[in-house]
Amino acid sequence: MIVARTEADVIDAVQSALARGRTLDIHGAGTKRNYGRPVACDDVLDVSTLRGIVSYEPAELILTVLPGTPVAEVVSLLAEKKQRLGFEPADWGPLQRVSPGKATIGGVLSADVNGAAAIRYGRARDSLLGFRAVNGLGEAYKAGGKVVKNVTGFDLPKLMCGAMGTLGVLTEVTLRIYPQPSRSVVLILRDVNVEDGLAFLRRIWQSPLEATGLGYVPASAPLAHMGYVGEGAAFMRLEGEPETVKDKLAALRAIAPGAQEVEIADLFASIAGGAALAEKNCDVWRIFVPQTEAPGILRQMQTPLFNVDWAGGASWLGLPAGANGAELRAACEKAGGHATLVKADEETRGRVAPFTPEPPARRALTRSVKAAFDPKNIFNPGRMWKAV
Amino acid sequence: MLLPAPNRDILARRDAIVRRLRALVPDGVVADQAGLTAFDGDALTAYRQMALACVLPKSKEEVSAVLEFASREGIAIVPRGAGTSLSGGALPLPDAILMGMGRMNRILEIDYENRCVIAEPGVTNLSITRAVEARGFYYAPDPSSQIACTVGGNVAENSGGIHCLKYGLTTHNLLGVEIVLPGGERVRFGGKAGDGGLDLLGIVAGSEGLLGVVVEATLRILPKPPVTRTLMAAFRSVPDAGQCVADIIGAGVIPAAMEFMDRNCIGAVEDYCSPGYPRDAEGLLIIEVDGVAADAASAVKQVTEIAKAAGASAVVEAFDESERTRLWAGRKAAFPAMGRLAPDMLCMDGTIPRHALPRVLTRMAEMSKEYGLGFCNVFHAGDGNLHPLIIFDVMKEGELARAEAFGAAILQLCVEVGGVLTGEHGVGVEKRDLMPTMFSDIDLAQQQRLKCAFDSAGLFNPGKVFPSLSACVELGHMHVKGGRVPFPNLPRF
Repeated sequence: MIVARTEADVIDAVQSALARGRTLDIHGAGTKRNYGRPVACDDVLDVSTLRGIVSYEPAELILTVLPGTPVAEVVSLLAEKKQRLGFEPADWGPLQRVSPGKATIGGVLSADVNGAAAIRYGRARDSLLGFRAVNGLGEAYKAGGKVVKNVTGFDLPKLMCGAMGTLGVLTEVTLRIYPQPSRSVVLILRDVNVEDGLAFLRRIWQSPLEATGLGYVPASAPLAHMGYVGEGAAFMRLEGEPETVKDKLAALRAIAPGAQEVEIADLFASIAGGAALAEKNCDVWRIFVPQTEAPGILRQMQTPLFNVDWAGGASWLGLPAGANGAELRAACEKAGGHATLVKADEETRGRVAPFTPEPPARRALTRSVKAAFDPKNIFNPGRMWKAV
Repeated sequence: MLLPAPNRDILARRDAIVRRLRALVPDGVVADQAGLTAFDGDALTAYRQMALACVLPKSKEEVSAVLEFASREGIAIVPRGAGTSLSGGALPLPDAILMGMGRMNRILEIDYENRCVIAEPGVTNLSITRAVEARGFYYAPDPSSQIACTVGGNVAENSGGIHCLKYGLTTHNLLGVEIVLPGGERVRFGGKAGDGGLDLLGIVAGSEGLLGVVVEATLRILPKPPVTRTLMAAFRSVPDAGQCVADIIGAGVIPAAMEFMDRNCIGAVEDYCSPGYPRDAEGLLIIEVDGVAADAASAVKQVTEIAKAAGASAVVEAFDESERTRLWAGRKAAFPAMGRLAPDMLCMDGTIPRHALPRVLTRMAEMSKEYGLGFCNVFHAGDGNLHPLIIFDVMKEGELARAEAFGAAILQLCVEVGGVLTGEHGVGVEKRDLMPTMFSDIDLAQQQRLKCAFDSAGLFNPGKVFPSLSACVELGHMHVKGGRVPFPNLPRF
């Protein structure tokens, strides 16, 4: 294990790997080791030690940190100033059976891990304004900027989000942050089936209530402390100043008279983290489809194990361990979406492409992009697809 | 501003190229001098140049056919939307085919349930909102040129607008694109639910026509906020106004828009369309808040208190829709109003951290004297995106060079205080040579290698964005076809 404490350490590690023809497994807190194809790298590059706050300017709504900084640390720092991360990254630790609260900022950005508020403020890629990184030539470079509005040069920060460390090693990240509303209310609509529940959530999403959480949980895959939900429950979160929330609640009652305020600890964090499926003996898939298509796919797959996030835009789904997911993928593709295998044993992840298989033209382009950043295939080679 | 020297071989083959283009797009080739004059530049008006030929495809298939032909023949392509770029992104090149996308102007699908619209690239920005507003939706990015500028151009430039403080730039409201790659192949990135691959959609947004031609875009539409309220705050000093902006954001209020105008701009706008701004103010903020009624009300209260505390001499609210429109009309007319004061105008576009506003505004006023050129400040204050307008006369000896030097000095100042060269207009040719003030050679080489991944022959919009036109092979890129270096006759510029 090579431990990097500075960007210079990362440069040394990459140059040495280049010189010796070795590959590097980029390792943060290790909470997503089982996400992606199994990779056998020559060395592990530990970047969890690239840790700390570089600058935090609450009045600018800008935060620059080293990527090994734990998300939990960032969240509590921001909370002191009544601010938060807009993409509200979920904790995938419990899902992946590693301890909670460990995930790093670099890790959630690289794996494109988001949470409930992303439906309102955008995903990780929309919050990452700029970064420093070391590429596969062992060069440190920067991209993006440290201001909220910037179109200078290619928007590389978008590309780094979700690239699973295959394009380089992040050494510093600058994030846009958001004010934390002073009041936050969760509402529940009990005993609705998935069709009706999601239709209701879509009406909220199409209204100007700016909901920061829209989820559905069936009785067949309940969350802790959820209580009686009948067939299933639709949840929504409304936020703002107290007066604003009162206004929004009044408007909401016009759409859903039956919705009631409820207090369930960490409800949306649990939905976004796939907590309901964590203890089940199943493989866990994440599907992304147009909102209207989610109920049809869930019905077709006939699995009782699912949780719905983003009003159906993203859902967790459990399939029997070792399933190849072909039917699910075909259904998602037909619906204009895709599916990713998030948790399975190593054999399955080696056999079933965890990331959405690409059509040929796209595959060629992806490989060219990989080569533009990592021409010698040093970083996490094959983690996403063969050769990438 | 130096552009690549034209490839003589291509110029010599012009007639044959035009004939071939006419075969590919029978009713959509402009090759006569009078016709080409209509396409000789964009809104960076100081630069004019004729294209080799202009082609106006009507379908994805025609775009593919032209790009396949151009790639085979080694002819460069300059994509063009409505030609409203302020950075010269659509400036033609004498040895390049200019591809105007204006005829692909259909809205293909409106999907209210999934809150998106699929449009061809030539659809104008405003017509997206027009198409969905009856059902209570709108498309958020609203560049000032929205009546003319097109979706394809917005994607290429990652356009912003007045309301991107709260609602983001084009990239934040773009769900998917279909683009045609050099060589004619069509690929899709993103979609109504993303694509699960590398975020190439994020790269295409703001790629300034360097990676491919957008032939379809899927856009997010938003529910129209039930209440919009607009305030005007006048200040006796520019730094006070700057402080007010920083205080509002710092207090956790995110207005839908927060726009600044200085005294020069106020005067010009009053002369032009009399929106009722106080002529004696040194700085003016137009602040718009939206949301549910209570949301807007609490923001109005907070903003008013903060503005007064920051020294505003007056804070007034538009009392009805027509007054609101009038307040905005002045701001939106800033360009034409300033345009009446001098024959030529340069609009800069740096973004700075908001806390640097007072310092930068003061320094710009000093620079105006140093360079002996008038200017005014009108900008998206909420996100620190400055639009100093420098006025000059290109016919006067040396004024263009002086205006460009003044503009460059402003942008260098932006970078110095931790900001960037361009917030929403793009690099184009205008800021191309300033890229090294913000990026090292290594930074730029990394971006150029990405360009090479899409366009290894360097055929798309050459001479834009990057200050040196390194061949992909020099950058260590591996995809060089047949060992040929593209444009062997291209000098560095």
